[in-house]
Amino acid sequence: MLDPFISGFWQVLAWPAFGYLLIGITVGFFVGLLPGLGGLATLALMLPFSYTIKQPVEAFCFLLGMLAVTGTTGDITSILFGIPGEGSSAALILDGYPMSKKGEAGRALGAAITSSVVGATIGAFSLAISIPIMRPLVLLFGSPELFIIAIMGITFIGTLSGPSLVKGLLAGGIGLMLAAIGVDPQTGALRYTFGSLYLWDRLDIIPVTVGLFAIPEIVDLAVRGTSISEKPKEKLTGVMEGVKDTFRHFWLVMRCSLIGVYFGVLPVLGANVAQWMAYGHAVQGLKDRTQAGKGVIEGVLGPGAANNSTRGGDLIPTVAFGIPGSGAMALLLGALLIVGLQPGPEMLKTRLDVTFAMVWILIIANLIVAAVCFLILNQLAALTFIRGGLLIPFLLLLVFIGSFTANNSLNDLVVTLIFGVMGYYMVLQGWPRPPLILGLILGKIAENYLWISTAAYGAKWLVFPSVISLIVLTVVIIAYPTIKERRGKAKYERPDDVM
Amino acid sequence: MVQRNVLKGLFFLGICLFSPLTLSPVLAQEPFYKGKTVTIVVGTKAGDVYDLYARLMAQHMPKYIPGNPNIIVQNMPGAASLITANHVNNVAKPDGLTIGAIYNALYFDQLIGRTEVKFDWSKFGWIGSPVTSNHLLYMRADSPYKTMDDVRKASEPPKCGATGTTSTAYWVPKLLEDVIGTKFNVVMGYQAGQDIDLAVERGEVVCRAFTITAFFAREPFHTWRKNAFVRVIFQTGKKRDPKLPDAPTIHELMNRYKATEGGRRLATLSLAAGDFGRPYVVPPGTPADRLKILREAFAKVVNSPDAKGDAEKKKLQIDPTSGEELETLAKEVISQPPETVQRMKKMLGKK
Repeated sequence: MLDPFISGFWQVLAWPAFGYLLIGITVGFFVGLLPGLGGLATLALMLPFSYTIKQPVEAFCFLLGMLAVTGTTGDITSILFGIPGEGSSAALILDGYPMSKKGEAGRALGAAITSSVVGATIGAFSLAISIPIMRPLVLLFGSPELFIIAIMGITFIGTLSGPSLVKGLLAGGIGLMLAAIGVDPQTGALRYTFGSLYLWDRLDIIPVTVGLFAIPEIVDLAVRGTSISEKPKEKLTGVMEGVKDTFRHFWLVMRCSLIGVYFGVLPVLGANVAQWMAYGHAVQGLKDRTQAGKGVIEGVLGPGAANNSTRGGDLIPTVAFGIPGSGAMALLLGALLIVGLQPGPEMLKTRLDVTFAMVWILIIANLIVAAVCFLILNQLAALTFIRGGLLIPFLLLLVFIGSFTANNSLNDLVVTLIFGVMGYYMVLQGWPRPPLILGLILGKIAENYLWISTAAYGAKWLVFPSVISLIVLTVVIIAYPTIKERRGKAKYERPDDVM
Repeated sequence: MVQRNVLKGLFFLGICLFSPLTLSPVLAQEPFYKGKTVTIVVGTKAGDVYDLYARLMAQHMPKYIPGNPNIIVQNMPGAASLITANHVNNVAKPDGLTIGAIYNALYFDQLIGRTEVKFDWSKFGWIGSPVTSNHLLYMRADSPYKTMDDVRKASEPPKCGATGTTSTAYWVPKLLEDVIGTKFNVVMGYQAGQDIDLAVERGEVVCRAFTITAFFAREPFHTWRKNAFVRVIFQTGKKRDPKLPDAPTIHELMNRYKATEGGRRLATLSLAAGDFGRPYVVPPGTPADRLKILREAFAKVVNSPDAKGDAEKKKLQIDPTSGEELETLAKEVISQPPETVQRMKKMLGKK
């Protein structure tokens, strides 16, 4: 076990593999920064270039290296401009962007990047450690279990609601309703498509997220007429502060990384869901929960770690079965076949070193990109002090190009605009936006797995031990903060009682 | 003198007027496609197999088209490529500069009368298909269903996974139900094919119908075949695939179980989708000479060692069907008697 582990490390550092890694990182760096243009689409575009690479590890250095850093640099755009750099970085807007407004962009970036590196490392090691138990681990989660996990995710709407639970629940409900749009997989019936073919494939999450989060921030920036940061430019010293924050809240970062790994292993869920779970978990633990969304560092650390650690988790089903855990992995699998490697049980026996090389690529790529980021963070943070009027045209361009890349359809832009208007009103009226996104993502997943479970097992799945334990776990997760709060209060109030 | 000048003027005027005619042979020598850009509009996202084939074509076709145009690929995903088919039919100009890469079973939607269909399958200009996609149905080896006979007699039908009602994984088992009376419980809602494979590993479902090519091209199927984890109990080709000598074809099954004439017609109609493969079309009304150029170029690509080698490297099979054959087939599948169409509606869960 140790030999391939070390061999994998050296293979990544060997020439030309390392060169490919650097190219991959460079591409991934910019792809992550640009909103909308995601790791998946880029992977598809870059795939042909990898055909000429002969060695599996080299091809992986290029492709996986690229994929590994998109999550990290995506966080930067979310924090600086309030525009999700990647679909999986949207949760960082909630507290990251308010920090930029407070003039703390440097600190937020430092925290996001450090937590990303920690997350990526945890994800990579989880991949390495789970090699012997991969198969049972993946097989543990059937459709009934996935359904309950989706429900568990939906309960997080409560946590993500902020001050007004009713508004949060309503927004979540709207999200769930929007998830119903499209061709119903059971009967082929068209739901709320209004004669538009575009709506057959349900609402794409990218234009919705970009519209909902980015447009209101841009409008707000225009209305304010200042730079993103409301505070005048002082010497930026926050970056190291952010690094320190990561270690101050080390256990939170660890827990959120594990949430990321867990959601990565589960088919379909992935980073898009993991970020919100991690964010919910992070703000749940706040001493003063009313501060959530106003620029607390925990809200940056949690999703920052989780959206990077999912990559390691994502790779687990891909490596264990040769069955890709996500769209990106499906493409990666295609690339592997071309270099003559068949992921799956066979590869674990004969080419264990390649699997370990993947582990190392995830870690090394993130370390390199973090190092590069730290060199330029101050310059990046300085962008938040540029006059809004100069930034807005550029940001709008990025937003619309970003959403257009989802389906190359003008309808993507229409969706962005509609949700932009909706998002702006939600902000004005104090409605939380994350529940809507969560409802939209999870509504579809929950619906599908409920159908599958019932079609495959009838009502029997309701009494599966695994399902029951997950239900119990969900209840505990919902009840825990309330219990904790009560207890805390009780302790606090007891002296009064006595008196 | 004046008269002479007038004559001279008329003479030159005549030359001017007729010059386009005299020049036209020269113009014709300049190939139409020179300096032009041809767009292949693909009905899937980048990275899908349809997209991979289209990119292969875009790379190799220009050499074989007089004038060597640029060929670019544009992805227009959505509604199982219906958006692309409608676009090619209604929006794209019939000038031979737009090619559509569309799903092979879209004619189902036209036949069963979906109002969203804005094309006539039989009117497209067919360029060809690089591959024929026949299907198989695999069954977990440890399930009680060893052959189609077992499935027919089973008191509890086997559970097959599918994504939705438009997928092969749905209509192939349904076709068997209609034609030879085997019952399947099709469990729908999986996100993608790989999720079904995972569900088969878990034992949530035990069977899935999909293309023969994929079954031999990648994991987990290599391991599955090696460990005899699944068994192929049926295939759709006209003859048994050499790689699947033990799996009966649908035609053998229809003979064995004495399928009715109507059932056979439905089978032929549905399975024609496999012959359409991964087809390329141009808008109706595209000039015949340009369609001819594209067809010839296509034929040269699928026969060129260069393109074939490239395809092999990308694990894309080449087993072409010509545009002329597809044209005939397209006319055939659209001119069906109402009973057959009715049966197809029933098969696809439409009333």
